[in-house]
Amino acid sequence: MRLTDASVAIRPRTAWEALDLGVLLARRHAGLLIASWALLSLPVFALLCLLLWDHPGWALFAFWWLKPAFERLPLYILSRSLFAEPPTLGQAMRALPGVLRPQLLASLTWRRLSLTRSFDLPVLQLEGLSGQARAQRLVVLGQRETRFATWLTVVGVHVEMALWLGLGSLFYMLLPAQLELDWNWQRLLEAAEGDWLWLEHLSNLVYVLPLMLWEPVYVACGFTLYLNRRTALEAWDIELVFRRLRQRLTGSAYALLLGLGLSLTLLPMAPPALAESSEVIAPEAPRLLKQPLTSEASRQSIEALLDAPPFEHRETLTRWRLGDDQEQASESDPETAKNWLERLLQLRDGWQHLGTLALIFEALLWAAVLALIGLLLWRYRQWLHLFASRLRPPSPVRRDAPTQLFGLDVAPERLPDDIAAEAERLWREQPRAALGLLYRALLSRLLHQHHLPLTSAHTEGEVLEQVAQFKRDDLNAFSQILTRHWQAAAYGNRLPPQNACADLCAGWRQLFPAGAAR
Amino acid sequence: MPPSLTSPSPPAAAALLDTRYRVETPEGIDLTLRPAGLVPRALAFSVDLAIRGVFLLLVYLGLSLLGQFGMGLAAVLLFLVTWWYMVLFEVLNQGRSPGKQLLGLRVVHDDGTPIGWPASLTRNLLRFVDLLPFAYTFGLLSCLYHPHFKRLGDIAAGTLVVYRDLPPARPNLPEAQPQQAPFALSLAEQRALLGFAERAEGLSAARRAELAGLLAEPLDLPPEQAERHLHGIARGLLGPTP
Repeated sequence: MRLTDASVAIRPRTAWEALDLGVLLARRHAGLLIASWALLSLPVFALLCLLLWDHPGWALFAFWWLKPAFERLPLYILSRSLFAEPPTLGQAMRALPGVLRPQLLASLTWRRLSLTRSFDLPVLQLEGLSGQARAQRLVVLGQRETRFATWLTVVGVHVEMALWLGLGSLFYMLLPAQLELDWNWQRLLEAAEGDWLWLEHLSNLVYVLPLMLWEPVYVACGFTLYLNRRTALEAWDIELVFRRLRQRLTGSAYALLLGLGLSLTLLPMAPPALAESSEVIAPEAPRLLKQPLTSEASRQSIEALLDAPPFEHRETLTRWRLGDDQEQASESDPETAKNWLERLLQLRDGWQHLGTLALIFEALLWAAVLALIGLLLWRYRQWLHLFASRLRPPSPVRRDAPTQLFGLDVAPERLPDDIAAEAERLWREQPRAALGLLYRALLSRLLHQHHLPLTSAHTEGEVLEQVAQFKRDDLNAFSQILTRHWQAAAYGNRLPPQNACADLCAGWRQLFPAGAAR
Repeated sequence: MPPSLTSPSPPAAAALLDTRYRVETPEGIDLTLRPAGLVPRALAFSVDLAIRGVFLLLVYLGLSLLGQFGMGLAAVLLFLVTWWYMVLFEVLNQGRSPGKQLLGLRVVHDDGTPIGWPASLTRNLLRFVDLLPFAYTFGLLSCLYHPHFKRLGDIAAGTLVVYRDLPPARPNLPEAQPQQAPFALSLAEQRALLGFAERAEGLSAARRAELAGLLAEPLDLPPEQAERHLHGIARGLLGPTP
């Protein structure tokens, strides 16, 4: 027995899962199991029917009682196929006497009604234990598994009954309607007691046929339960992995020896161990195998995409390659060399024509480039104008001073030369005009002499605030007084007192001496 | 141990027989489900059948006092219990009828998601097909034949009866000085080393020594010290424990 050759996944399972594994195991070898079971049991059944023709019930009972004897062959097949190739039908039948003999009497007499039959059979048949040793072994193995083996048998009894009834009622359903008219269940039951013996034997057959399916499953379930118990008790799964690990490590040690050149005769032994260590899942390993898009397919489509134009730029250039041709011509054999030479001469003539053609094209292309540059310059002339002007050093700000502020004409040309005298002259008849003149003149001076950046949006108060930034007390004070008087006169129609004129004119003369104004 | 990844011998590698059922999520994660076979399912069904039988019997006894009205109620109740017992328990109790709960089973969709109304209704209405021709014959045969033990209703509804995963108990490792393995270990090998330490109590001393002896040569140790060393490596793999 080599665990590495096992055909089932060896791992500790729950007992229920072990039973399920039995179903799968029986399913895998279904053909062989059913055939071998039928080959053994159906003749026995036929023989019993013939012998006990008058007592169909006893025939069935005898067959049922013999069931443990039929279970040995399936177990032989299953145990053989677990670690090796399954035997052929002929091999199995030849092995039959050997597996039937041990303790057959015990199996068919006092152990016949044991509920853990399926679980006990491997101990008897595969381990070959008997008597005290078998009992002890069963105690060790069956601590927990007894319960599950019992349930398996209980369920098995019901499955047999269900299949029997199911097949029987299927048979009844499939009877043609004409026949069914004559039959009914009561009459069938009555008939069963009378001379309808063949019907009872048929019913027996309906019991035996489903057994062909169920008996191998039952045996396989008991077998896998036994296997599972041994796997847990003896840590088969761990042994399996340890053996592989040992093989891997010592195998690589052999490879190392080889590398040192110590022995070339070891060569055939080295390679297999290393191949097994590649079970680690690499990122490139095929994954997502059950998805609509597998990793392989996605990788291929990605590669195809990366091969396509936006990512991969491939060009096929076809152009004149005269130099290569010449070399090839010189290498070729002398007979064709003459032809080649002639062709080359022709080509050279052609090339001279081509030279002029190329010159024209070159000129045209350069013209096209220049035209393109010109076009671009013209196309973006506004843009250039806008942004290229910024590149120049900023010219001194030449702001056009407004000629009007709050509807007042502040252009210096429109003002009289001697403001103070004009104001004094006007004061007598039109004090309001005199104040206006003074204020206009002040604004004009602020604009043109002090370069105050006034616009028509400024109010009188804002003008004062800007004046205050000059930090000149006299100008500041004068502006405030003048503005207050002007506002009072302009908006409130309240004229300033008479002496204000003299103060204002004096202030003006002091601030803006005549002559220095311009 | 993931059996499909290891390759013991080339011809048998692809066909290792196992009851596990793998669902691959779109993220590429393998969910391992363990479909439940005929025997536990039959037992779970018997439990449910018995519960329903006892319940209906009690209700019938109680309602029979009410005369014909009571019989009418009992008929309605019989209908409800027959057709809705499984559906309601499965949908509202995480795929577990009382019988399945007792046996540690649950019903899920084929892709491992919790079962919903449509699937549960389908699989339980199609119970009628499984019943044919008598006593669940078709259901039995289908359950025995199907690789994931589905009966016909399960196939139609796309459902699966699986064993519930119980929260694992904290392993109890033998005391040893944690050590680092002197060679690289694959996942399966790490699990086997941990399993060796965890299950040490359940193995006989001779068997433990035999198993550890397998790795004595690669570890460059005399066989007597191998077991202790392996426990140390398992401790090292497990990491610090509170």
